[in-house]
Amino acid sequence: MRLLRLAMAVTAVALVATHVSVPASAQQYPTRPINMIVSFPAGGSTDIGARVVAGLAEKILGQPIVVVNRGGAGGQVGWTELARAKPDGYTIGFLNLPATNTTILDPERQAIFNEGSFTPIANQVLDPGVIWVAANSPYKTLKDLLDAAKAKPGTIRAATTGILSDDHLAILMVEEVNPGVNFRIVHLLGGAAQMKETLGGNIDVSFDNVGGIVPQVKSGQVRALAVMDTERSKFLPDVPTTKELGMPTVISSSTRGIGGPKGMDPAVVKKLQDVFSQAMKDPDHVKRLEDAGLAIKIMVGDEYVKYYNETHEKAKKYTEWAKNRPQK
Amino acid sequence: MVDTFHYLMAGFAAAATPTNLTFAFIGCFLGTLIGVLPGIGPAAGTAILIPLTFQLDATGAIIMLAAIYYGAMYGGTITSVLINVPGEAASVITCLDGHAMAKKGRAGAALGIAAIGSFIGGVIATVLLVVVATPLSRLALSFGPPEFFALMIVGLVLVTSLAGNSLIAGILMTVTGLLISLIGLDPVRGAPRFTFGLPELFDGLGFIPVVMGLFGVGEILATAEKPYREVIKTNLRGLIPSRDEWHRSMGAIWRGTGLGFFLGLIPGVGAIIPTFMSYILEKRLSKHPETFGTGAIEGVAGPETANNSYANGSMVPLLTLGIPSSPTIAVLMGAFIINGLTPGPLLFQERPDLVWAVIASFFIGNVLLLILNLPLVGLWAKILEIPYQYICAGTLLFCIIGAYSINQSIFDLWVMLGCGIIGYLLRKLNFPLAPLVLGLILGPQIEKSMRTSLEMSAGDFSIFVTRPLSASLLALAIVILAFAAMQYAPKEIRDPNAD
Repeated sequence: MRLLRLAMAVTAVALVATHVSVPASAQQYPTRPINMIVSFPAGGSTDIGARVVAGLAEKILGQPIVVVNRGGAGGQVGWTELARAKPDGYTIGFLNLPATNTTILDPERQAIFNEGSFTPIANQVLDPGVIWVAANSPYKTLKDLLDAAKAKPGTIRAATTGILSDDHLAILMVEEVNPGVNFRIVHLLGGAAQMKETLGGNIDVSFDNVGGIVPQVKSGQVRALAVMDTERSKFLPDVPTTKELGMPTVISSSTRGIGGPKGMDPAVVKKLQDVFSQAMKDPDHVKRLEDAGLAIKIMVGDEYVKYYNETHEKAKKYTEWAKNRPQK
Repeated sequence: MVDTFHYLMAGFAAAATPTNLTFAFIGCFLGTLIGVLPGIGPAAGTAILIPLTFQLDATGAIIMLAAIYYGAMYGGTITSVLINVPGEAASVITCLDGHAMAKKGRAGAALGIAAIGSFIGGVIATVLLVVVATPLSRLALSFGPPEFFALMIVGLVLVTSLAGNSLIAGILMTVTGLLISLIGLDPVRGAPRFTFGLPELFDGLGFIPVVMGLFGVGEILATAEKPYREVIKTNLRGLIPSRDEWHRSMGAIWRGTGLGFFLGLIPGVGAIIPTFMSYILEKRLSKHPETFGTGAIEGVAGPETANNSYANGSMVPLLTLGIPSSPTIAVLMGAFIINGLTPGPLLFQERPDLVWAVIASFFIGNVLLLILNLPLVGLWAKILEIPYQYICAGTLLFCIIGAYSINQSIFDLWVMLGCGIIGYLLRKLNFPLAPLVLGLILGPQIEKSMRTSLEMSAGDFSIFVTRPLSASLLALAIVILAFAAMQYAPKEIRDPNAD
């Protein structure tokens, strides 16, 4: 299959070479296949969402959209490639906020791209954060958990899905508004490891996103204590939000949206926005993502740019804090 | 139990419909192909095919994707045996004795025993899945980061002490592998290490280019320096394992089955560790450990069985708990979810028809793989009759395409060629390659589990010795190392009865 793709790429290059004398204008765009970089390995939730939307969008666009997985380094490899790509509209990719932002903000990561390196095009998914425990945990409510964390600071083992992930920032947000609460933060590699260690009793509480735990909540293996959003999640309608629980600043989510390198032709951006928002409204897209527990939140144009900038500012505050927190 | 049997029979009825049989066959075939091609692994292969399954019903889709997964486990063997290029990470260890057997004209026997071992391992692991899945998977969860760390140390010590003829050489190679594995981003903090500012190195040296270089390219160079190599003649009798080979393989197959299944229950182990453990176990138990590396059939039968048994065993955490134990299983889980199904304990209650049809399809798939592969063994073995200069060129081309197609990166090609030269030199100097590869694989896992353990204990190292299972495993590692070090002890200590 990779060979096939290679063959396709070779053919595409040959085709381009023969047409090189005719500059493609925005009206004609696209005249050849579009690569869509997913900065995570095949099969993750970003990848699944990307493949569903690509399959629908390519029908509207009239050119194939090839999903290219560039996993590694927590997404940094793929974003580096996206930032370096030519802004001709033939390379686009998924931005995962706030993971893209914290990669930029953490000096240790030595990212060669910054917040201005990308053109936000259209957001696809907004997956709110969730605080959850194993079903046999003594903590029945968020209050139980916070009381315990206050009574014995630094002993309750709280798992993230990686350093400076949205889940890591969410732990800091909870600590910020609950003076005296201090968790022992354990960074695990992703949701599967978190599920294993929490069910196995090696972790007391996990911070993840709703989409990652809906199946296990349904099967009764885990208990969600709070969703970190202003409204209840339609996938977990019985779980209170942090806003309801009196913590309106503890709002955390992971979003997946499509972006390109900076400097894209506005007409091309407009075209992609129209195509992708149409594809994302397709009933097939809606059903498949909802089955996977992923909440669709279409944001295009200024709305998405504004969201991108706000997320960056918020991530900046908590990234600096994470760096200075005594017990990391 | 009666219920289970009833469900399983219903599952067979559902899986044996012509449509689902076709899906199982397509899956086995594609899986074998993916296994043969080094650039594309089972995880990527299944992921690319997920959109195709939207058109199918859920049962057919999952049967096909699962068949790709265990089909790939077998396919990787073929290139390992024939040209010393592992098509899949799980077939690296098969190069050692499988290719040595091929050079002796026993390629058919090696491929045959691998197919049969895979079949037995796959079927028995599926039986175990049916019978003991749920209670065991709960138990495997208590295997936390400290235990995982200790298990990896045992694996490392085992391979170091037994892979080569010299303990010192083994340790050197293991440490080299561990050091190479440090290249790339720090797994916890994300800071680049030993990357010299090259973004290509952020993810470390690619495993497939390194292994294809060390084994495949290294082999070509070593052969090329010989002026003439006789064409390997494989007669028909060479295609089937001899009675003696059967006898030696059966024990290895049973042990490989058990080992693969139980390691499959622990999420995160990965397919390659069971194969190394099985190889080492066979070498340890063998009456003729010196034959390992020169074409010992146990060294093919055990690991090849273990990787298939592992593939089926690793379905247990997925089906009973909804936890994917490897990247490929994660893709499979994605296929469940995207088809509106929730892997986990409820799946057995909500959709017993689907679960049991999928389990039944594992049995059918293993039979299909055997049917697909045994007749081809003769054909594969014929490839070796091609004059070596052509095989050489073909292998090199195959390695280049494989290494390039993983990331479409020229950098990976240079890595592969560099490793080819290193592999050639190590071969000349008689350094074992297996510990280097294992160090490379285990390095990140050891580092990650150690650091997670220390995060859990707020930096207190006693976490490794205060948990009983972790402490026992570490004690075992010390005992193994002590035994291995005995070869350097004065003769009187080694063997008090000697005169």
